[in-house]
Amino acid sequence: MTTTAFPPLSAAARRRRIGGVVRRDLAALRRSPIRIFEIVFWPTVELVVWGFVTVYLRAGDVPFIVSALLGAVLLWQILHRASNEVSMGFLEDIWSRNLLNMHVTPLTAAEYLSGLVVFSLTKVVFSVAVMGTLAYVLYGFGILTVGVALVPFMAVLLVLGWALAIAAISCVLRFGEGAQVIAWSLVFVFQPIAGVFYPVSVLPSGLQVVAWFVPATHVFQGMRDVLGGAAIPWDRMAAAAALDVVYVALALGLYTVTLRHARAKGRLSRFGE
Amino acid sequence: MRRVRAPAHPGRVAILQADLLAKRFGPVTAVDEVSLTVAEGEIAGLLGPNGAGKSTTLHMLLGLVTPDSGRIRIFGLDLERHRTEVLNQVNFSASYLGLPGVLQVREVLDAFARLYGLRRPAVTVAEVAELLEIGPLLRRKVIDLSSGQQTRVQLAKALLNRPKLLILDEPTAALDPDAGDRIRNLLVGVAREWGGAMLITSHNMREVERMCDRIHFMSGGRIIATGTAAELADLFDVADLEEVFLKVARQ
Repeated sequence: MTTTAFPPLSAAARRRRIGGVVRRDLAALRRSPIRIFEIVFWPTVELVVWGFVTVYLRAGDVPFIVSALLGAVLLWQILHRASNEVSMGFLEDIWSRNLLNMHVTPLTAAEYLSGLVVFSLTKVVFSVAVMGTLAYVLYGFGILTVGVALVPFMAVLLVLGWALAIAAISCVLRFGEGAQVIAWSLVFVFQPIAGVFYPVSVLPSGLQVVAWFVPATHVFQGMRDVLGGAAIPWDRMAAAAALDVVYVALALGLYTVTLRHARAKGRLSRFGE
Repeated sequence: MRRVRAPAHPGRVAILQADLLAKRFGPVTAVDEVSLTVAEGEIAGLLGPNGAGKSTTLHMLLGLVTPDSGRIRIFGLDLERHRTEVLNQVNFSASYLGLPGVLQVREVLDAFARLYGLRRPAVTVAEVAELLEIGPLLRRKVIDLSSGQQTRVQLAKALLNRPKLLILDEPTAALDPDAGDRIRNLLVGVAREWGGAMLITSHNMREVERMCDRIHFMSGGRIIATGTAAELADLFDVADLEEVFLKVARQ
């Protein structure tokens, strides 16, 4: 048997390893139609529920609220899916007792997380495309109404979702499989304070201060501004991007510390049992 | 009790060198000042009763568990500092590990071939499938395979990168005697042909006697004896390795 490999520290080897994670997850998706169903099912349920609420509101002649709610549902799904898909990739390695196999390869932590992130991006794009189409067909709301602002809005939410997922993965590494509920629920901690479906001004004043430290708050407020006819709030987007950098840095720091702790305490080995 | 003999391959290059490894989990000393070497072309065994510290030792050698003290050098490189370069040339298989069940065998192997940075994953997967006689399984999902078939796929995964150091934790535990025998022949053949080193744990004493050039016997987190199967039997004044095992386990 002959094997030729790229030098392990070369860019080609790194790309090949990240690609390996992505291809594996894509293959798993292809082999499991239930997961494709899941990508479409929950976002669709949420869209339909909120869509009918907006139909009701439309009867009261409040078109701005209608657009704001539908836009919020769509953008929330970006954050939610970005977070959940990365967490799922990691949890599937635990559930299939494959995590140790991954950790004895030359794959670095950064490459592993990059692979999960790239794969999640494909699922999020697919999911949003389905939802955007449904919103247009069922309720006449075109997500593109938001215009070019959609690009920074999506980017901020994607990066925040990935940061939350990495933090959730870190919790599982630190506290074991029992902590996997965090992977599902962490993103929802931010829903009430990020002003997803209502302006931040309705929150108690103390919570408003906290809310502006959440990148998503700037996005949802910005979306309402744009739908209300204002210009793209680039200052808000800059603040959100800066906060994203802080969140990602904290999440990666947490991951590094918990991985080191898991190796020191032998917890990583227990994921293989 | 500490009866350690000199290495059996004094002239050969050490692929793996572990010095004074120690690991405690709370009040329990899992591994206590374990030193061992595995030379180029050598098949070494790590034996001992349950809880002797074998798996913890293997996991330290793979970087899954960080030693409290001691040093690990593989191919002359410090494992901690050269993790990617070292693990690129190492592989591992264990009876307790799984693979993503929803994937077809060829998809699993293709993904791992990429994780080892192989240039032509499909070619390597085909070659390793032929070697392990799992060609007919390539298009089946992992979850649909018997435990014996899954073991062979795990071993195929472990050979993908033609490792210079192959670490196996009870490699044939799930195999029937015929399949186990064929896998043992294959692994010995691979070690001889490829010239790499192998470190295995097993509770099958005949397997260890047949495969291993040298055996490190562990008990209570320590290596208490090192030698060939015959040397260990002499050392403990019993007939064979099985009796050595029973004697140590019951002490």
